[in-house]
Amino acid sequence: MHWRLRRIAFWLNEPLAVLRIEIVRIGAPLAILGFLSKRLAHADEWIGDGGFHVPDLEGDWRQPFYIPPLSAWAAWSIAAVLVLSALGCVLGIKARQSAVVFASALAFVALSDRLAAFTVSKLSPVVMLAVAAGPAGSRLGVDAYFKRKKSGKRPKICKPSGAIRFLQLLPVVIYSASGIAKARGDWLTRPLVLWSHVHDSYQTPFAFALASVLPGWTWTVFQGLVLAFEVFAPLWFGFSRTRTPALLFGVGMHMMIGLMFGPVRWFALLMITLLVAGYLPERFLEPIDALARRLEPVRSPG
Amino acid sequence: MSPRTAAWRARGRLALEILAAIYLAGVWLDGTGTGIPERVLPRALSYFLQVAALFPTAAVASIDYRAEGFVCQEGQWRELDTRPYFPIDANDKENRFSRVMHFFRDNRKTMNALDAYLVERHDAGGNEDGIAADRSIGGVRLSSLRIPIPPPGSVLERPSRRPLASYPEEQRKIFYHTTRSKLSERCGTDVESTK
Repeated sequence: MHWRLRRIAFWLNEPLAVLRIEIVRIGAPLAILGFLSKRLAHADEWIGDGGFHVPDLEGDWRQPFYIPPLSAWAAWSIAAVLVLSALGCVLGIKARQSAVVFASALAFVALSDRLAAFTVSKLSPVVMLAVAAGPAGSRLGVDAYFKRKKSGKRPKICKPSGAIRFLQLLPVVIYSASGIAKARGDWLTRPLVLWSHVHDSYQTPFAFALASVLPGWTWTVFQGLVLAFEVFAPLWFGFSRTRTPALLFGVGMHMMIGLMFGPVRWFALLMITLLVAGYLPERFLEPIDALARRLEPVRSPG
Repeated sequence: MSPRTAAWRARGRLALEILAAIYLAGVWLDGTGTGIPERVLPRALSYFLQVAALFPTAAVASIDYRAEGFVCQEGQWRELDTRPYFPIDANDKENRFSRVMHFFRDNRKTMNALDAYLVERHDAGGNEDGIAADRSIGGVRLSSLRIPIPPPGSVLERPSRRPLASYPEEQRKIFYHTTRSKLSERCGTDVESTK
């Protein structure tokens, strides 16, 4: 085998803390449910025949796939499947199966209604499939608790997992592509791109306060920092020395996005979950590990 | 585990790793604007790769979309509040009415369907939409509002929903209205002008 392939195989097979995927298993469905909450409350308008739906445009590029609106009972049933499978995943009840059901329902609603589909809608089925492909639910969950109680065996703390590697790479690939898209767009040629996006209905009181007090040049500085972070994300997250500062910058950036652009907060939360799960240094996983150990019962003798 | 099962598991794992690599490459190629995923994949698949090209350009204006209904009894256009008929995220641009305008405002088939939907919903009554429930509407006029972005350092105002008529003419752009013949048909009288 070529030495590069050997290095990739070694990297993929390196044991990683199972807790990393558990963080995604718990955090991602909550962020996704938060994003879906208003849609779920109006399921009959969203994917059912109670609301407006774009007609079948027969191949129009803006309509990736035409799914006719559902009857009200079917729309509410899909909503129930979304909520129950997400909660199953969060609680660790048949976690991997719940993740597959949740991912399938998410893919269906993303295709069913283009109008209410955003980045979270398209990203979340893949995130949940990755959760299903990994050792999700083997720690910190209802099934893990009863399995341990029954068998008395301690669950594995570390395992090789391609799914965890995938979830680590995903935000970095998104940042890199997003940074290049920004550089090819207006971010290198116009100094107030960031400023131009804080004035519409996404604006929160916090964004308004910042826009009112910060001088114009600070928006250009933020713009430059975001662009540099995104374009060079593979380097920041690739080198061990810059990984933790990159994690802090990424989490800070998404917190600011969540605070400044109201409806985008769920996307911010999903990205923070992926960053924390993927790149939190091992020593900061220890408190979560200690919690997991406390929740793992010891089988009573006899 | 038997050697045969182990071999199948290894193959399955390799297949998943290849799929994951293709997905990540697809997200990167789509986000960077190569257009390759769109050319080689079915639309329903490439759609799930479109997650990375976020806010690449500057906003030229703050954009909002509005509707007016043609009140048959008055022969006049009056602003129609679409929020009761699009209740998800009613007050921001993630609202489905704003989204249909954003994506499909130049698609006649979709606009005709929207026209029919709004007329039917208003005429069914029961919602506060700015036009009295006992006044039927024969059609709709749909416009965009393009509100200029203030320069840094200026006195700012929180975005709020003001009546359409309060915006200067140059900030409003009508891009769809029900045809006169359709208005006449729905109102049951000869509508002479749609101005």
